[in-house]
Amino acid sequence: MHEPEVQSEIPDPLDEEKSNMRMLQAYTTLFAASVIAMGAGSLAAPCLAQDANTGNATSFAGTKHVLGLQGLKHNASGTLAAENGSLVFTKGKKKVVVPAASIQEVMTGKDTERTIGGTVGTLTMFAPYGGGRFLSLFRSKIDMLSIEYLDPSGGLHGAIFTLPAGSALGAKKALLSQGATTSFPVEMEAAAQAKPKEKKQ
Amino acid sequence: MKSIRYSSALLTLALVFLFTASTALAQDQAHTKTPASAIQILMVQSDEVKLPIEFQLALYENLIDQVQKTNKFQHVYRAGDTAAANAAGLVILRSNVYGFKKGSEGKRQVTTVAGATQIKVHCLFTDQAGKTELAQDVTGNVRFVGGNLRATLDFAKKVAQIAVTNF
Repeated sequence: MHEPEVQSEIPDPLDEEKSNMRMLQAYTTLFAASVIAMGAGSLAAPCLAQDANTGNATSFAGTKHVLGLQGLKHNASGTLAAENGSLVFTKGKKKVVVPAASIQEVMTGKDTERTIGGTVGTLTMFAPYGGGRFLSLFRSKIDMLSIEYLDPSGGLHGAIFTLPAGSALGAKKALLSQGATTSFPVEMEAAAQAKPKEKKQ
Repeated sequence: MKSIRYSSALLTLALVFLFTASTALAQDQAHTKTPASAIQILMVQSDEVKLPIEFQLALYENLIDQVQKTNKFQHVYRAGDTAAANAAGLVILRSNVYGFKKGSEGKRQVTTVAGATQIKVHCLFTDQAGKTELAQDVTGNVRFVGGNLRATLDFAKKVAQIAVTNF
């Protein structure tokens, strides 16, 4: 009679240790990759915005509408464009158009925001061992663009956008070229923003 | 028997006093409310402190949003709106920032106690002739969750509540 082969089910301790090591290596690689991706993402964003400049129309992808535009939700991400004498913000199928001639003031500023934001960012606050607090240390630089404009009945509106770092002055220039006005020229603003860097050198 | 009579008389008196007092209070509250069917919200000024423009605009826009949400007024006019000139029962809200401390969202999230943002605003409700109806100081804060601009939302919610209570 042919006897069935009996396989030993007792795991070899050396094999188990090897598999543990592989798991550890995999986790380390994943963590390193995610950190690199976060860094690369923040660096790549301004390049995308600069590449979007085409002809007469200038657009800035990755813009967030913080508040102020009628018919759009707060913190909606989309594309800001200066074209055909207007500021156009597009989010999916929704499009809000503000005539550049009605824009009375355009100002830029700088700020930072959490790299992991939104709902996921809020949920990380519940991570154990202060994991959420650790993640909130990772911050990416952003530019702010604020505009004041008038509606047809003369009512004053304000709108705030955040753009990838290094894009706000370009957006301001584009809006001014379309007919918007400002009390603080781009050159002065660029010089004011460059001053802190000179102090560091 | 006498003590029972005294105590019942006292109880009756107390009840009458309580009823009269509550009625008088309700009438007082009804009298303090100024009837207004429309409000015009002017752009937030900052004469005393240097306020970044994004905060100024966020204060103004959030004020309009929150006052509209209350449904207290038939019309909420913006600064410069020409239609406000002919509005009946119009109240004008002027806001002036007199204190501003910009905190840090990162500090707030890491420490939970430091990095708060605070905006102190003097709010003045007047009628069309400029007569003061109500003046009150309101503070907007963000202490833990949210960006610095969230302090403007906190301020706007408080002002909307004041408007509902007083008009």
